[in-house]
Amino acid sequence: MTTAAVEHGHGHGDGPDHDDGHEEVIYQETRDMRLLGFVLFLCSDVVLFSAFIFAYLYLRGTIDEWPPILNGHQLPRLDLPFAEFNSIVLFGSGVTMHHALENWKHGKVGRFDFFMGFTIVLGVMFLCGQGYEYSHAAIGGWSGSIFGASFFTLTGMHGFHVFCGVAYLAILWWQTKKGHYDQTHYFGLTAGTLYWHFVDVIWVALFFLFYIF
Amino acid sequence: MAVAAPTTTPTIPRPVLDHIHPEPTGFIRKYIFSIDHKIIAFQYFITAGLFFIIAGLLAEMIRIDLLKHTGVLTPNVYNQVYSVHGSMMVWLVIIPFVSGAFGNFVMPLQIGARDVAFPWLNLAAFWMFPPAGLILLASFAFGAPDAGWTEYPPISLQAPFGTSMWCIAIFLIGISSTLTGINFLVTIFKMRAPGMTFTRMPLFVWASAATAGLNMVATTALAAALLALFLERQFGVPFYNPTKGGSPILWQHMFWFYSHPAVYIMILPAFGIISEVLPTFSRKPIFGYKMIAFSSVAIALLGFMVWAHHMFTSGMAPWLQLPFMIITMLIAIPTGIKIFSWMATLWGGSIEFSAACLFALGFLITFTLGGVTGFFLAAVPADLHEHGTYFVVGHIHYVLYGGSVFGIYAGLYYWWPKMTGRMMNERLGQWHAWITFVAFNCTFLPMHWLGLLGMPRRVAMYDPEFEGWNIVVSVCSFFLAASTLLIMGNMLWSFKNGKKAGPNPWGARTLEWMISSPPPYYNFKTVPAVLAAPYDFGNPLPYIGLDAEPGAMEATPQSTTGLVHAH
Amino acid sequence: MAHQVTKTKVSLGPYFWLVTAFILVASAIMSYFVYASGWPIGLPEIAEPAPEIDALFKFLGAMGGTIFNIVTGYIIYFAIVFRRKKSDPPDAIGVQIHDNPVLEFWWTVIPTILVVILAIFSTVIWSSLQNTAGDVLTMEAIGHQYYFSFRYPKLANPVNNEMHVPVNVPVTLHVTSAEPGEPPVNHGFWVPEVRLKADMVPGLINTLRFTPTQIGGPYRIICTEFCGALHGTMRATFYIDSQKDFDKWFAKQGGSGGSPGAGGAAGGGAGIALANGNADQGATLFAAKCSACHSVNAFSDKKVGPGLGKIFSDPGHPKLVNGTAPTPADAAAIMKNGYTGDIGQMPDASTNQITDGDIANLVAYLASLSKK
Repeated sequence: MTTAAVEHGHGHGDGPDHDDGHEEVIYQETRDMRLLGFVLFLCSDVVLFSAFIFAYLYLRGTIDEWPPILNGHQLPRLDLPFAEFNSIVLFGSGVTMHHALENWKHGKVGRFDFFMGFTIVLGVMFLCGQGYEYSHAAIGGWSGSIFGASFFTLTGMHGFHVFCGVAYLAILWWQTKKGHYDQTHYFGLTAGTLYWHFVDVIWVALFFLFYIF
Repeated sequence: MAVAAPTTTPTIPRPVLDHIHPEPTGFIRKYIFSIDHKIIAFQYFITAGLFFIIAGLLAEMIRIDLLKHTGVLTPNVYNQVYSVHGSMMVWLVIIPFVSGAFGNFVMPLQIGARDVAFPWLNLAAFWMFPPAGLILLASFAFGAPDAGWTEYPPISLQAPFGTSMWCIAIFLIGISSTLTGINFLVTIFKMRAPGMTFTRMPLFVWASAATAGLNMVATTALAAALLALFLERQFGVPFYNPTKGGSPILWQHMFWFYSHPAVYIMILPAFGIISEVLPTFSRKPIFGYKMIAFSSVAIALLGFMVWAHHMFTSGMAPWLQLPFMIITMLIAIPTGIKIFSWMATLWGGSIEFSAACLFALGFLITFTLGGVTGFFLAAVPADLHEHGTYFVVGHIHYVLYGGSVFGIYAGLYYWWPKMTGRMMNERLGQWHAWITFVAFNCTFLPMHWLGLLGMPRRVAMYDPEFEGWNIVVSVCSFFLAASTLLIMGNMLWSFKNGKKAGPNPWGARTLEWMISSPPPYYNFKTVPAVLAAPYDFGNPLPYIGLDAEPGAMEATPQSTTGLVHAH
Repeated sequence: MAHQVTKTKVSLGPYFWLVTAFILVASAIMSYFVYASGWPIGLPEIAEPAPEIDALFKFLGAMGGTIFNIVTGYIIYFAIVFRRKKSDPPDAIGVQIHDNPVLEFWWTVIPTILVVILAIFSTVIWSSLQNTAGDVLTMEAIGHQYYFSFRYPKLANPVNNEMHVPVNVPVTLHVTSAEPGEPPVNHGFWVPEVRLKADMVPGLINTLRFTPTQIGGPYRIICTEFCGALHGTMRATFYIDSQKDFDKWFAKQGGSGGSPGAGGAAGGGAGIALANGNADQGATLFAAKCSACHSVNAFSDKKVGPGLGKIFSDPGHPKLVNGTAPTPADAAAIMKNGYTGDIGQMPDASTNQITDGDIANLVAYLASLSKK
């Protein structure tokens, strides 16, 4: 994401012309802008998922029986217990991410490292779980029916977001190692946490729509 | 470089990011990969202008084909030509012009900012634009999209690879739009000069804010539709193909959920431009500032609730036609408020018919006619007759050309001195306005009755009884196309012979006119505090602490005769 | 500071009331012209609900034209009267008003009232489009690339390119799109003289209802949804005949036992005569009616129901779903009566809206496949 603050001469203690109070105000202002921008980005991402969820519900509404019939047989429902387990993995990673951020704010870097690592591991576990689900879901494949079309596309988009999230968290973690953030300047970590919770919220909707509804 | 905060009124808050950063060096960083919103705006102007010429030439190919009722081009070529014409004009011309070009140049200056909130994002968003256009144009080599800019399946599922390229190109420009929308919203919310409350913002900024919100929310819905179409075409994933359980109507819902707000994306900034031009050339405040501002937001919100009025004949549940019809009709009310407020801005004024003002007046007339035909289309029983005919083609060109393009022309004539530091030839501009107005109406008015009498749209050949009016339309369109040369020539002329423009040749009052023409890279040496809305011509300028260029303040307008004779 | 040459309370301008009167009179004359002449459409009204729809067009024309006159008229007037003159000082400014709550109130309320009137008027006409009454001719129009075909009850074969209806009989027209052997595309069905239009969407059946009121023809049936290279040429002709002429035409098409009138689409009759089944008609019908659930490949190629490609020729073909042998007569019986059982449901002939003649054609088509 852009670093307008850097462009405008904000550094970490450099620039002896500036008094620190002034610099702090500048930092808060740029942080507010970046937070708003990031939240707006997440809003437009919600619209992306909403459009596909609309498509899924619309197509599902055109037929009487769900799951649909393919080649004369009704497709099975998806594996709920496994998805429940995988969901706990993902929601758990949201909890660990929250703790990571809280620990960072309070300067407990060791505990931050633990929770951040745990979050990334859980994220990767979720992705592996999705891989397992994809290989075992007997719903006619991606192009077999509207079931496969909507399920694999929506969860695939979500999985792509999770993958990018894992990469993003890894980069953020590396940045903390390089001293890029301190206990009062850590917008990147806030953004990463927000993004990770966003991915969780989307999964709540998808889990309900495909496994329960 | 410490900020010189105004000391006379200590209660006014500090501006955000009031730093002047060093100017970039090197040609590439200054002009190619620039993060300066003004340079990026130029890049949008040039790119969109080139695409306008290409798409306009495609339009002339359409009109050449329609000179004869048996057609001139082969139908396959014709179908690609009209589809790429429409796609280009919407996504590669008008939206980049009003949002990327004018929004980028004018809006930050009008709020007293040094740049947009995320300048690097601005750069990234621009550089998606030329590749998107090139991909779309390259699709001609692979079988360009041929089912209109709306690309309804199932037929768009069967088209050659160029349609997939169309999906990619529009997806890319969509990302650019979304990022620009986010950027502009944050800029307007967070970077206004101290004292500039929402009700002291110029109306172009209000328009940009409403447009940015639409850009940000609606465009990702289009991205979803395009992605699904691409996946189905390339990988057989069934969303739209009825033989595999999909639904062609689903595409229409997803496509129009974006594309109706898109038309408001295309018109709202033009509304903003009119709101800037009319007070300046009437020398009086904009009438009904608050109503114009709030109606922009109302139109943006209502615009999300009317998409299915494009689908009245598609087989949607009949009862659903009614709410969409009623809300579509309701949008006329905030729009009418604007038109009446602009008329009241003219009343009692001291009107100077500059080229910008002439285009604004032409806009009021042609956009009103486009709005009236919108009523015809909103009423479901009438739409059952008009849908898919040339009546719709007439309506869309009245609102998109008579609306958006006239607004763009007005803005170009208005802000050209600010952008380039040169005046255009006013007399030539006035000729351009008159010729365009006459040629435009002669081209597009007959389409309304052609449609009502039975000429469908998207046809390379048509019934012989319509040939006479089609010849009239085509010939007038050649004049309309030729008239574009007048402004292009005028631009070139201004660089050679145009009088150097001072900071405020029109005697306007918004902040962009308080600095030199063109502005320095940092825009404002000191950011002023703002005490009132800018349109009160009788009062002193409502800015304090402004380190304006000499000649910026207390500027008096020169009459058009003065300008003409000054060359 | 600009010199203030403000007009403190400018009048409405010279001739304001004259201009207003002119605008209103011009609008009244124009509205009269709209109502008295055929404008804005100028085509004959050959069916219900064309007159009501035309009434709506006239109202729109009068209302829209008046709005346009008001906006254009005052703009021209203001531009002339309030133009900056050469004699004005260079720093002249206009009257410094910002708003006028009374004026803004009225120019919000009056358009709102107009919108409400228009909405009510449109809704009333809309609701009259949804109803049919009395005896009804139910028929179908199917769009193809690039022609229309029409299917009538009690008529074995569809009629291409020409649609006839008897005068004063309400018509319920179901439209869809079908393409044997290929994925079908959207089409549109429009008769300008009737003022009604519906998209022909594959997989959907859309319905138009109208009552022809005026004998005549040929009128135009026009495709209004882009359907490919020759979309511009896709036409059919439409005739409204007297009942006698219609019966004559219908009989010539092979229609048996009098004209189709009341009774809807499904035919009656004891046995089903298969001898005159037409395989080509059957192919089109199969694409429109059966291909959603059946393919023409081998039995094992199931969609919803089994593949029907080799139904009569495959010696190892299993019994039909109701336990009968896979012969043409037994297949015809299933198409007629349908089947409901534990593996699903096949709709009967009246649900599918196919006649005995259709069944004959379908059987002929399946027989032609079985020969390969």
